[in-house]
Amino acid sequence: MKPRKTLEWTRLDNAAKIFPSNSNKRDTKVFRFSCELNEPVDPEVLQVAVDKTLGEFPMYRSVMKRGLFWYYFEASDRKPVVKPEDEPPCGPLYNADIKGLLFEVSYYRNRINLEVYHALSDGTGALQFLRVLAYHYLTMKHAALFSGGRLPVMDYDASFSQKKDDSFQKYSGKPREKEKKKRVSAYRIKGQKLSEHRLRVIEGVLPVGAAIEKAHAYGATLSVFFTAVLMCAIHADMAARAEKRPVVITVPVNLRNYFYSVSARNFFSVINVAYDFANGDGQLSDVIRQVARSFREELTAERLKNRMDELSSIEHNVFARITPLVIKDVCLHIAHDYTNRGITAALSNIGKIEMPEALCPFIRQFDVFVSTDKLQVCMCSFGDKLTLSFTSPFVSTDVQMQFFRMLTYMGIPVTIVSNQIDEE
Amino acid sequence: MKTCEKCRLQVAGNRQFCPLCQAELTGEGDPEQEAFPKIPTVYRQHTLFFRVLLFCSIAGGVVALALNFMLPQSGWWSLFVLLGLGCTWASLAIAVRKRGNIPKNLLYQVVLISLLAALWDWVTGWRGWSIDYVVPLVCICAMVAMSVLARVLRLRIQDYMIYLCIDAVFGIVPIVFFLTGVLRVVYPALICVAGSLISLAALLVFEGQNMLLELKKRLHL
Repeated sequence: MKPRKTLEWTRLDNAAKIFPSNSNKRDTKVFRFSCELNEPVDPEVLQVAVDKTLGEFPMYRSVMKRGLFWYYFEASDRKPVVKPEDEPPCGPLYNADIKGLLFEVSYYRNRINLEVYHALSDGTGALQFLRVLAYHYLTMKHAALFSGGRLPVMDYDASFSQKKDDSFQKYSGKPREKEKKKRVSAYRIKGQKLSEHRLRVIEGVLPVGAAIEKAHAYGATLSVFFTAVLMCAIHADMAARAEKRPVVITVPVNLRNYFYSVSARNFFSVINVAYDFANGDGQLSDVIRQVARSFREELTAERLKNRMDELSSIEHNVFARITPLVIKDVCLHIAHDYTNRGITAALSNIGKIEMPEALCPFIRQFDVFVSTDKLQVCMCSFGDKLTLSFTSPFVSTDVQMQFFRMLTYMGIPVTIVSNQIDEE
Repeated sequence: MKTCEKCRLQVAGNRQFCPLCQAELTGEGDPEQEAFPKIPTVYRQHTLFFRVLLFCSIAGGVVALALNFMLPQSGWWSLFVLLGLGCTWASLAIAVRKRGNIPKNLLYQVVLISLLAALWDWVTGWRGWSIDYVVPLVCICAMVAMSVLARVLRLRIQDYMIYLCIDAVFGIVPIVFFLTGVLRVVYPALICVAGSLISLAALLVFEGQNMLLELKKRLHL
């Protein structure tokens, strides 16, 4: 008999555990990173680059399976196949019956798209994958330029085990005090949704300098500024009667900035920022003041650690552990719904994306967006371009319009890129 | 690049209307700038087939009930029609939903068919045919089918081991019927139990290590 390699398996990390029970056709929990080059993508080189990159990210070679009590990742020998983009963005990647890889690489014209299932990795982790992928692609495609010891050096430095590290396990402990939080029921955007569970993607590209200048004029960071603008844009579209509920924006926080980790898996937390338009004056400056205060209060290592401890204590609770997965699925679904009731929209700032200097001339921009059943903004910047990507399942584009008009009326030039929905 | 005068911004591509405010755009467009391909709506054809089937079943059920009410002297045969339709749909639903995972599909069918057979046997005055024939036979058939399909579809042992194992354990259950003496015909049950024991033994002897690992994975807390 042939000796067989035993398949490695891994538990899902603390943040990943919520996703499998809550991914469905409408909200697939898949996000996409794109790297737009200044030249058309060569599929053959891209395929080689993907294979090479996969060798450096062993976790990405996994499928997800159901156990009796928990989901788990199992190593797989499936090969990822690069394909031209021919499906709507952020389509489902996890299917309980057809075990496929949890990421996908496609291309369209100048764009390389990486779609990742959120249980596998968070934005920062996936970004590392895309950066390494773009690095391999460009250094191979333009091999002549980089021959003779002129190969640029990639700045991502992590061993296999560091990349696979479950940083939640490493940093979470027993929760010290239980935070008492008052439950808020947030204003929720309603409206007709697109057919076929399609996702509307509207991206605005603007110069970083102009945005920073405007934000600084209000004494705010980019995250604070855009969170406040988003709140005002949502408010502009709200019925007066709906004002009795606060607008709550949930902001994912990259925990790697607070606790040392170079993991390519999930390591994030979220903070919720609220503004009550019934009690505030609703002017942008006032919203910014309020948002900045919330950011200051919430974004401390101590608060984030406390939240991490709380969530991990739920996961490690004996009763939670021995509950069969079928029941866990239902419970996690209810918990997710309950949390969602306190959220209006989400804003995720991936921050500045850097590439080795020699490769920058080949890259026009990066962008990122994620599947959602609400409204979500993802932002990232590369060079002098800041990309703000809206995703929403709604037919209406009023919030996006209000948002970008606020920016253009302030004098920030914006270029809009969007996906094409059939009915239009 | 086109311009929306109302939003005061540029729109990439060659759209006629602003994606934000739906106002008409001005300026020269460049279709090469589109960042996303146009993906047409997919019309799912197979759902129509199932819809027709479902509609026919409902119509058939209603007609049977109505006829039965018109001819009450003929007995309550329409209930059997309804039960039959229900059973067919339950089995069909599993077959379709689990079509991506054949071994799992087979296992689900074994359990479902066994339960439904017992139900039919019970409502038709318990003559014991379900545990005499149906339960042992579906267990054996499923085991044989899994082994054959594993070869034909080149499944990896890890992917069907657990289902084969559960099926084999389920196949031992008829020994209880045998020992309690409720069986009228013992051959199928005994063949099923023997087959199950042999399958289990084969799994443990040849794949014991993997079995253990698989169980550890699937049962981790």
